[in-house]
Amino acid sequence: MTSRPLALAGAAVVALTLATLPLLANAYIVSFVFALLVAFVIAQSWDWVNGLMGYLNLGHYAFYGIGGYTFCMLLVAGAPLPICFAGTVVSVAIAAALLSAPIFRLKGDYFAFATLTIVPLCELLASNLSGLTGGSEGITLPPNYVLNPAYYLMLILTLATFVTTLALMRSRFGYAMRAVRNDEQVAQVSGVRLFPIKIATLMLSGVFAGLAGAIQAWQFSFIDPYTMFNMGVALIPIAAALLGGSGLLLGPLVGVALLTSLQQVLLIKLNMLQGTIYGLVIVLIGRFIPGGLLRWRTIANSAALGWLSRESHFEVPALRGGARSDALPLRADPIDASRKILECRDVTMAFGGNIAVRKASLEIRQGEIVGLVGPNGSGKTTLFNLISGVLHPKSGTILVDGKDISQFRPDEIAGLGIGRTYQIPRPFGELTVRECIAVGRTFGRARAPLKQSMLEAETFARFVGLDDCLEKRADQLSLQQKKVLEIARALAGEPKLLLVDEVASGLSTVEIAKFVEHIREIRDRYGVTVIWVEHIFSALASVVDRLIVLDSGSVIADAPLAEAMHDENVLATYLGHANPEVP
Amino acid sequence: MSLDILVQVLLSGLLLGGIYALVAFGLSLVYGVANILNIAHGTFLAISGVIASLIYAATDWNPLLIIPALAIPVFAFGYLFHATLLRPLASRSKHDETIGTVLITTGALIAMSDITGVVAGTNQRNIPVRSDMLEFGEVFVSMTQVWILAGIVALTLVLHLYLKHAWFGRAVRAVTQDPMGATLCGVNASRARALTFAAGSGLVAVAGVLYALIYPVDPNMGFSLTVRAFTIIIIGGIGNLAGAMVAGVMLGVAESLTAFYWAPKWAPAISVVLLLLILVVFPRGLGTWRRA
Repeated sequence: MTSRPLALAGAAVVALTLATLPLLANAYIVSFVFALLVAFVIAQSWDWVNGLMGYLNLGHYAFYGIGGYTFCMLLVAGAPLPICFAGTVVSVAIAAALLSAPIFRLKGDYFAFATLTIVPLCELLASNLSGLTGGSEGITLPPNYVLNPAYYLMLILTLATFVTTLALMRSRFGYAMRAVRNDEQVAQVSGVRLFPIKIATLMLSGVFAGLAGAIQAWQFSFIDPYTMFNMGVALIPIAAALLGGSGLLLGPLVGVALLTSLQQVLLIKLNMLQGTIYGLVIVLIGRFIPGGLLRWRTIANSAALGWLSRESHFEVPALRGGARSDALPLRADPIDASRKILECRDVTMAFGGNIAVRKASLEIRQGEIVGLVGPNGSGKTTLFNLISGVLHPKSGTILVDGKDISQFRPDEIAGLGIGRTYQIPRPFGELTVRECIAVGRTFGRARAPLKQSMLEAETFARFVGLDDCLEKRADQLSLQQKKVLEIARALAGEPKLLLVDEVASGLSTVEIAKFVEHIREIRDRYGVTVIWVEHIFSALASVVDRLIVLDSGSVIADAPLAEAMHDENVLATYLGHANPEVP
Repeated sequence: MSLDILVQVLLSGLLLGGIYALVAFGLSLVYGVANILNIAHGTFLAISGVIASLIYAATDWNPLLIIPALAIPVFAFGYLFHATLLRPLASRSKHDETIGTVLITTGALIAMSDITGVVAGTNQRNIPVRSDMLEFGEVFVSMTQVWILAGIVALTLVLHLYLKHAWFGRAVRAVTQDPMGATLCGVNASRARALTFAAGSGLVAVAGVLYALIYPVDPNMGFSLTVRAFTIIIIGGIGNLAGAMVAGVMLGVAESLTAFYWAPKWAPAISVVLLLLILVVFPRGLGTWRRA
């Protein structure tokens, strides 16, 4: 644990040393530190996409090359320096935006495969478009000794990179990125609009790498396809970030410092096989510490170095006024039973030949608590997926307050005030309980500012009984706690309609009773309409007004509880026929 | 006359594409079964090709003899590589596993290329076999080309029949579809993975010998082949051999046509452009039969 003043003092010493370096040290040291800063900017900007947003971009180095090339082409054409740098920013941003469209259609390993092709493509373009790029001859800038100005520019860029990382980790935008990394679908149904986040992140990361390339090219005063798009070098900043610890504030910095130093030592001490040793070191890191050095237990638990490995989570301001209130900060909607909050008309969904929902029609009025039951595979969860926009129906319409939402994206539907939970809980595992709830609050219909959401998250946590583990990571909770966290996250978005998918199984009788009370309270006190899918019938029976029964995708009964329980179709579905035909 | 040239170009495209397909088979199996993103896959080919040309220069062996002499040690090397470095990653979380494989295979790529460069030099070499030419009208086909074609066809058939009918081949396909289910049915998934990785490496060694018979190889060329193989398996569908063969031949022919009728320097761009275009239109690949 370090205190903030100590960290600030340390940072100030480092900054001062770096700022005065050209006055104190010889050109060799300055160019070594320069190379280190370049590598840091590339590694850290890559890690915004991987460590924060969870996309393994193996083509990041291309932005560095594109930046270098744009800069040199502009400079040779006679543009003044500021224009050259501005042009670099513009061209890299355009390249990143253009790339986003195809590559973000992919997920996981497929994304990594596809991005692997970007650097070779750029190398090819640079070699072949010789009219523009000078081909394999490259571009030579007018001779000019610019190590010191380049060093200072690089230092400013490094500082900007570090500050951006800090800002991203604490901002609403950054929490959207982290939600995407943890669970893209849940991020979306919590109200995060994915594409703008992804494209903006890639553009941001590209611009920083591109500027690093421009400054590096300026200092080299020579570029060719091999230096700017060398695949042998392209993956090294990535290896460095992973070596330090991807996603941690200081991970890429530590990794780059170690790996760049190792490379220097090898260059000096050996006259052959440097690449081999370098490669083997990377292999060993991958084999033994793929979470990165800073996540290595020996370091994370050590008193002296533990602070390096700290994850970035929201820090609660020490002093704050205001009494703690138990009332949830939700706008209470007056109950108006004539208002049709949800209407499904002939909704059909098929997966290949399997019809999961068949011409289902139902109406939910505001303020109702409706139980949705049916055997396994009867289409309950599919119906929830359709209403929340995770799936789009093959035919039929879904109306929310009279508006057809059947082709809306999940985040638009969340914004309209439809919240949902998942049967198998899907919390944002790397975030704390407080942060998970705040994500729901700041991106859902509530749209509260991040800081306010973080503070209000406490009330929601207390409501479901998680107030004693607010700062715990969500993946460390028990199954029961994760289930109620689902409710808290969904409720925090301020839904007018809450879709609750099987919460009671696995809970004890006492916990179920408490849960039923919660459902009743959010309707009675805050006017939230609820559709509850549940197998444990006694739990439903004590709270629902109406029961909708699905079987093989069709609605077979829709009636007040008492009536539905005696419906022959329902009994047949659940218990078999009362009077089986005897052959 | 121009038709003859077209046939000639198509033929060399077919051969090149066939070799690409062999490289892609290995990668496809390794990714499908063992879930390993092997960035060093093409480097295995490059190094096998270099070693094959060294063996040929030293011994003057028939390439048919070089193939087993090389494929068997590379198979063993692949097995060891998987057992010592990659297998232990399986116990980690999905994300850590991916990162671990990227690091290990990238590091291996750098180290293997460097060692080979130090030992054998970084210059381009090949296997300069002399062979008779067959004449079909104006079209000339060398016996080497015929042998390579036969080799590609034979390997593809053997692999296909093995995967389809042999017990272990079925086990491998079962692991591709559902490792847990396969394990519950008595398949040793971890052994299947290791042997698949070894077989993929062995296959790429064979492809390396065939490649060096018609094109020059050097220790640092591997990565561009890995990129092509990735393109092929995304187009053809991961774990889909027929798809990989079609995509491989398509790519080889397209590259040959581009090189001949436009400019050789643009040939390598085909795979990347094709890949990006296909991703825009079919985000899941053309022939995916398995949900990733």
